[in-house]
Amino acid sequence: MSPPPTIAEPRPEVVTRGVPPRRAAWLEATTSTDHKAVAKLWLGAALTFLAVAAVEFALTRLQLIVPDSTILVPEVFNRILSASTVSAVVLFAVPALIGLIGYIVPLQIGARGVALPRLNQLAFWLFATGALMIYASFLYTVPETPLAPFPPLADEVFSPSNGVDAWVGGVALATLGFVLFAVNLIATLRNMRAPGMAWRRAPIFTWAAATIGYVLLVAGGAMLAALTMLTVDRHFDGVFFDAGENGEPLLFSHLTWIFFAGCHAILVIGAFGIISEIVPSLSRKPLFSRPAAAGSLVAIGFLGVLAWMQNMYAAPIPDGFAYMAMAAALALVVPIGLIYFNWIATMWNGAVSLRAPMILALCGAAALMLGLGGQLMTAVIPVGLQLENTVAAQQDTIMVVVGFTLAVFAGLHYWLPKVTGRSVAEGPAKLAAGLILGSAVVFALAMFLAGLEGQPVDVFRYYEEDGVATENLIATIAAIFLVLGVLVELGNLAGSYSSGRVAAHDPWRGTTLEWFALSPPPPHNFDAVPDVRSAEPLRDIREAIREREAAYEPPAPLPRAAAPEPAPAPVTAHAPESQPEPEAPSQPEAEAQGPAPDTSTGEDGNDSPLT
Amino acid sequence: MAALALALLAPPASAAGLGPDAANSPNADSIRTAYWVMLAVALVLGTALIAGLVVAARRFRARDDAAPRRLTAARGTAGRVGAGLGVLAAAIFVFGVVMTEDARDASADESAESLDIGVVGQQWLWRFEYPQDSESSTGEEIATVFSYGELVVPVDTTVNLAIDSTDVIHRWFIPALGGQVEAVPGEVAETSFRAEEEGVFEGSSTQFSGTGYPAMRATVRVVSEAEYEEYVQSLAEELSEAQAEVAGESAAESPDPEAPEGAAP
Repeated sequence: MSPPPTIAEPRPEVVTRGVPPRRAAWLEATTSTDHKAVAKLWLGAALTFLAVAAVEFALTRLQLIVPDSTILVPEVFNRILSASTVSAVVLFAVPALIGLIGYIVPLQIGARGVALPRLNQLAFWLFATGALMIYASFLYTVPETPLAPFPPLADEVFSPSNGVDAWVGGVALATLGFVLFAVNLIATLRNMRAPGMAWRRAPIFTWAAATIGYVLLVAGGAMLAALTMLTVDRHFDGVFFDAGENGEPLLFSHLTWIFFAGCHAILVIGAFGIISEIVPSLSRKPLFSRPAAAGSLVAIGFLGVLAWMQNMYAAPIPDGFAYMAMAAALALVVPIGLIYFNWIATMWNGAVSLRAPMILALCGAAALMLGLGGQLMTAVIPVGLQLENTVAAQQDTIMVVVGFTLAVFAGLHYWLPKVTGRSVAEGPAKLAAGLILGSAVVFALAMFLAGLEGQPVDVFRYYEEDGVATENLIATIAAIFLVLGVLVELGNLAGSYSSGRVAAHDPWRGTTLEWFALSPPPPHNFDAVPDVRSAEPLRDIREAIREREAAYEPPAPLPRAAAPEPAPAPVTAHAPESQPEPEAPSQPEAEAQGPAPDTSTGEDGNDSPLT
Repeated sequence: MAALALALLAPPASAAGLGPDAANSPNADSIRTAYWVMLAVALVLGTALIAGLVVAARRFRARDDAAPRRLTAARGTAGRVGAGLGVLAAAIFVFGVVMTEDARDASADESAESLDIGVVGQQWLWRFEYPQDSESSTGEEIATVFSYGELVVPVDTTVNLAIDSTDVIHRWFIPALGGQVEAVPGEVAETSFRAEEEGVFEGSSTQFSGTGYPAMRATVRVVSEAEYEEYVQSLAEELSEAQAEVAGESAAESPDPEAPEGAAP
């Protein structure tokens, strides 16, 4: 009689020393190579610098509120002005766009990541180092370079301090970050689109992103070359820009204008791309004439860079070059006009829902038109000779940046539910949109009139007899309201980021693949990537679900007396094998049925976003 | 048609301050014509597009869950709109080229009188070098006659400016007398104007050039022919006096007989 076995036979088992501890959230956010984590860093940095640039802009305007003002000493004014310009363009505008692209575009093309994730991460940290370098100069010598350090003024003779070096180093690092981001973006777009997503089916914002990638490569490369040569000139006895040694000071102007013209084109393309996503989505219609819209974005990139010399009409360049720049700048009328026309035609006969993204997008379109209309005027050489480098032409650029900022806000309202799973409050956004656009119009008009009187850009002082006191007073008041509007919206975004109402996975009934992912998306973005069969894959998927639901017949009740034959009934009930795209419905169905308790409230929760 | 409408509309608009101040030179006139035409084009185009957006948004405003009336629009519309815009752009380009010829300088109109002035920018003032046609009374060679800050020119004379810089990039800009010209070291940029009336015309550099940049202003005083001759003569005399003074001083102090040239007045 043997005792019952008390010891089980050996069998394989999984051994662990415990669940690995979670890393701290900040460590995860800053070291993850997930494109979404990196993009959030870009966005956070960009919006921070937007607040900084806006406040600096208000300070410079405050100095000009009255003639002969002595609120700020000249050096301080020049430093704040320089910091404001570089913050607005290099530290806010381009990074904000990169953040949106870096988050959304891989989702839009149905990719589970990016092609070169570590390069993508390196790009951000190069940019962050550059930004730190620029702002660290406030601890020693601040650059006084309102737009860019143009030699000979930036040569050692005239600018012996190392402020210029801080500007050059910081902008070079940031630009290198942009270029590396563009490399990763282009590699991702070429290689990682979902099956079936031919270029003709790529979403319009993806088209904008692709154009921006190539523009960044060209424009960023030119800027890096210019800054390298300037450093050689300053510290290693170079003569690239030294007229006395057969150098060419204008060469630096050309290269930096290629960069700034590229940045300008990027802002316009990015804003147009965002608005072109929102307008169809909230009009419940496909974008009118997609090929024309996509082609227009590409054309703006090409022509916008080609027209860089439209900023140099007054410089001693050959007439032929000036005419080429004018031709390219005027040709921009066609793609820009077409894009606006496409938006109008998209809304026409649609069901336009004036939610916050739509309001912000339309206000952005209006502000952009204020700036682009002014630039159409200055593109003609005689008018350019009159208005260039006066505050009249400067306000065109500011209006483009304001329009771009509104478009970025619109994009954040549209896409933040995807990023955070929470919707952004709409009341403050509509208030901010009105405040920004209204004050921008007043500001633009006042500055335009002052520019007609010949008020130059970048001056820290004007005199009573210049006759521009009223215009400057009005412009300063308007600028303060403008900045207030921006700060209100930034506060709104920050407040809604972690405590907004919970949103559904597809709050706008979007038609592109980012709405196929969960909100927020898991690290791998998609459990299953659907076949793309049109430019609006989610519309196809919804239709497939609708058809399936219509075709669904509830199983007949089992006859009581019949012999048990359980096999056929479950097969007809579930029947997934007989349908195409077996994995496609999993997520939308989950959405429709509400996997989480918040989904059903999310849909109508967005209607009254008073929280 | 457009020109006629502009001719009617421009004066009241100008009075309302929507345009640059009155011109006093043919090339500045061309700039103003181009300005009014482009203002009209930009206003019409911009207003049309913004109005289109507003009308579409208001007319087709709907509740959140509403369905669109139609999903498609007429085909080929984008092509027609693009073609129209292309024609507009081409027309503006031709117009721009024609106006540029007139706007760059005033020398196209042949006039008997002309005057060559050298304009040299430096941090933070302008130096004007007058031609040396006024000989000094003693007959000895004098340095270039020059003045700082204020340029005096005769009326109804084509004034050719050769603009240069000795240090950093500046911009020459007198709104009433023509467009901006960049003064780049190592390059001589040329422009010209012909003042139609006497008066004082002011402007300031529009290119950031360092701390003193807002003070970099210039005045052009347009006077009669006789007054101009008198002015240059007095400048020349002042200069030769100063030179003599410097020469006397240096002769007294040092044996070096070479008097330094171009002493500032």
